[in-house]
Amino acid sequence: MFDSIVDPTVGAPGDDRGRTSLATRPARLSGLRLGLLVNTKRNAADFLEELSALLESEYGVTTVLTRTKPSIVHPAPPEMLEEFRGETDVVVVGVGDCGSCSASAVADGLQLEAAGIPAAVICSDAFRVSADAMADLQGTPGYEYVTTAHPVASLSREGVRERAVQALPQIVGMLTRSSAAVAS
Amino acid sequence: MTIDQAQLDQLKQTLQADDYRLDVDVQGDQADVAIVAGPDACEECLVPKPLMQSMLAPVLGVQPESIRLTYPADKG
Repeated sequence: MFDSIVDPTVGAPGDDRGRTSLATRPARLSGLRLGLLVNTKRNAADFLEELSALLESEYGVTTVLTRTKPSIVHPAPPEMLEEFRGETDVVVVGVGDCGSCSASAVADGLQLEAAGIPAAVICSDAFRVSADAMADLQGTPGYEYVTTAHPVASLSREGVRERAVQALPQIVGMLTRSSAAVAS
Repeated sequence: MTIDQAQLDQLKQTLQADDYRLDVDVQGDQADVAIVAGPDACEECLVPKPLMQSMLAPVLGVQPESIRLTYPADKG
C-alpha cells in the first residue's frame, strides 16, 4: 500500500526546486476572500471552521471556498489549487496532525505561495520533524507554519474552539505581515 | 558515520505520535531501518519512503540511498 502512495516529494512548487518565493501579504484582512484547505484528519474541518468564524467576526474576511483534500497523504490536486487561485485572496491549510499530513500540508502551503496566494499552514507540534523535512525537500528550509499541541483528533468541539482561538493571532500575523513567512 | 542520538530520539517521538516504532541498525555506511506499526497506527500517516529516507540520512550519518527502509506493509 505504501509504495502506491503518490509521493508528495515529487514536483516541488518552486522554480527548479529553488526556494519558493512567498506571496505578497496584504496589509489587512478586512474585505478579503478566505479559502480553507482541509484534510480528512478528525477535527481538521472543525478547526478550520472555528478559525473561519473568528476571522470573519474579528477581521472582516468572507469565507468563499472550502475544499477537502482527497487524502491526508497527497498535496491538493492542481484543479483544487486553481480554484483557490481564482476565488480566494488568502488560504488557511490544516490540520497536519500526523506525519504524512503535516508534510503534505507544508507542500500545500508552498504550492499556494508559489501560486501567489498567502497561506497559513497549521500543524500539530508533534510533527515538526516531518513538516520541516518537507520544507527542506521543497527547497524552502525555515518555512514557517502555525503549531498547535498534539493531538487535535481527540479534542471535543469546545477544545477545538479553544485551539482556534489560541492559533488566531499567529494565523493573522502569517497572512498579513509584509515580511516573508520564511525564517532567514 | 555518527548517529545524532538527540535527533534520532526526536524522530522516534514523532513516529510514536502516530503509534509507530523505529528500529535502526547501522553498520558502516549502510543502515537497516524498520518501521513497526502499533495497534493504533494509521496506515496513511507514514510519510512516503523518499521523504523518510531524507529525514533519516542526516540523523544516521549515511546517504539516503544507503538506507534499507522497511515499512509495515512490506512485511506483507
